[in-house]
Amino acid sequence: MKPSRILVVDDEDHIRAAVGRALDARGYLVEQASDGDAALTVASTFEPDLVVLDLNMPVLNGLEFTRILRTRSSVPILVLSVREDATDKVAALDLGADDYLTKPFSIDELMARVRALLRRASATGPRSLQFASDDVVIDLDAHLVTRAGDEVRLTRTEWNLLEALSEHPGKLLTHRWLLERVWGEGYADDVEVLRVFISQLRRKIEKEPGRPKIIGTDPGVGYRWLLRPAGEEPVS
Amino acid sequence: MIASVGTAALTAGLLPLRSDITPLSKGFGYLPVVVAAAAIGGLGPGVLASFAGFVTFNFFFLPPYDTFVIGRGEYVVVLFVFLGLSLLISALLARLAERAEAAEAREHELRALQTLSAELVALVPGPEGYESLTSNLIETFGFTSAALFVQDPGSRELREQVAVGCEPGTTPLHREPDPTKRPLEHLPLSVGARVLGLLVLQGDRDPVTPAESRVLRAFCDQFALALERDRLLRSATEAEVYRQSDQVRRSLLAAVSHDLRSPLAAIKASVTDLLGDGIQRNPDVVREALQSIDNEADRLNALIANLLDMSRIEGGMLRAQLEGVDLAEVLSTCVDRIRLQYPELEVKVSMDDASVVRADPVFLDRICTNLLENAAKVASAEAGSVEVEARAADTTTTIRVIDHGAGVPHSVREQLFYPFFRMSERQPRLGTGLGLAISKGFLDLMNGEIWIEDTPGGGATFAFSLPSVSVVAG
Repeated sequence: MKPSRILVVDDEDHIRAAVGRALDARGYLVEQASDGDAALTVASTFEPDLVVLDLNMPVLNGLEFTRILRTRSSVPILVLSVREDATDKVAALDLGADDYLTKPFSIDELMARVRALLRRASATGPRSLQFASDDVVIDLDAHLVTRAGDEVRLTRTEWNLLEALSEHPGKLLTHRWLLERVWGEGYADDVEVLRVFISQLRRKIEKEPGRPKIIGTDPGVGYRWLLRPAGEEPVS
Repeated sequence: MIASVGTAALTAGLLPLRSDITPLSKGFGYLPVVVAAAAIGGLGPGVLASFAGFVTFNFFFLPPYDTFVIGRGEYVVVLFVFLGLSLLISALLARLAERAEAAEAREHELRALQTLSAELVALVPGPEGYESLTSNLIETFGFTSAALFVQDPGSRELREQVAVGCEPGTTPLHREPDPTKRPLEHLPLSVGARVLGLLVLQGDRDPVTPAESRVLRAFCDQFALALERDRLLRSATEAEVYRQSDQVRRSLLAAVSHDLRSPLAAIKASVTDLLGDGIQRNPDVVREALQSIDNEADRLNALIANLLDMSRIEGGMLRAQLEGVDLAEVLSTCVDRIRLQYPELEVKVSMDDASVVRADPVFLDRICTNLLENAAKVASAEAGSVEVEARAADTTTTIRVIDHGAGVPHSVREQLFYPFFRMSERQPRLGTGLGLAISKGFLDLMNGEIWIEDTPGGGATFAFSLPSVSVVAG
């Protein structure tokens, strides 16, 4: 199998080198760039399968890079950021980045995210419409959710939310994205509404709503569909 | 005075004519004297003139002359009508004069108050403004000395802030119980129920009249408002200063945490990579990873040392051990070190012989190393060279570290010495962001200065000066 190509973009030489070495040692083909401008040039020739991107960079920062790259490619983007860049992180996800990792991180965490993103990107064929967790079965095609064989009744908004989440298994979906998707534009900042519906949905489909296994939370950022379609193991 | 002289003069003047004029007309002659006396002297002289006129008129001009006996009944009536008329005129005139006087006093009062209010409006907060105001006040009212007590914002106690015409600290805050001493005027300065200050006036003058007391009280009310205004203004300024320093602290904290976390992130990534099981690794790559961990640990250590120095400088806990330092020795040590660190860098040194400066050798070494490292980074990015020169003038020696990079725009030359200042968000930081701030801090401690010049032909020249030590030959 052809090795996946990963572009690492970070202005901190030592971090970039360490990430590069680690990916290289695990059989990935790695290219590096030290700023957004250079990264755009490299991306056009290297054609990466994944971009690992630092937000805080000179010349062209991570946000600007993401915005430009998204106009020409849907390659998965994993954002690296320090905790202080929380708003930038959310902005990057809203611009189309796929996931994030907070510095300092361990290489194991990085590898888990990299694998998940690559797997999701390479998943081809018709989207799976069935999920199962414990005694809950979700069949989007049949428009049916059952729990221990009994039908669970969902409101229209709850269905829309469920569909939006399950459409991208494992991907971190920001509050803004979900709100615009389910409620429409103009609701983008109504995080409170989203929180209420997520909690209602969890009460109906999660075995333990306090310890969700289907809809995961990334505090302050968004939610993630944790179930993997048909027989695959759950994402992180 | 007017009453007696006027009466006597009139009497003397009319005496030779007393047979030619009817007694009644002569009586009216005394009325102008009464009017004049009352108008000028007031009620007392008026009444006096009335009685003097009454007696002399009777004695000299009512037949039989030169006795107090009154000859005819109608003269008795005339005499007493004269007396009654005189007294009435005196009383009326006196009241008129009093009113005029009161109006004048009132006008004076208002003028004094107006002058003082105008001053209050233009009052410059602080002891000087208060002092000029207080001296004007005692001048206006004829006091000789005054003391102003103002409430201390912390302890809320009254403290003497201004003493005019007397020694500071000699004015008692409380009323003197001693009756032999001249009573003092104690005027509280209060807004609502809150006493903001106290004005104590003292002087060789009559007791304060009710009118003056009114003016003083009105003045004190306005003065208290001015004090309150100053107090509010001060606390608003303090809040603003606090807000700004809070903002600085927050951005410092963000910069520090970012700078500390970057090397930490590199170390953690490398270490967790090496810990990973079952991965075939090239020994060179392992060595590279370990080297990177080592470098980043050093960087972290340097940053912490710099942070510590910075906080010591800002906390005033660092003291310079000043001694005569041979500049050539320090510079060559630093240059050798930088040549070792950047083997490809060309460093040119040019300096006067036997330059000795008054400095702390450790601080001086740190400053030189710092400037050289900055210049070396600029030069290695642009593949250029660095020059170091030292020139002694009369009392100071100036050391210049010259690079040929992009230079430093004039607009940021001052801010460049602030901790964690970056020329632009877009520009990567070369060092820890503290080097120049620390260098400036060290130079401040050694009576030196640091500044930035343009390098002729492009680039930045970081220059600093230190006091020279004259070396006596032999």
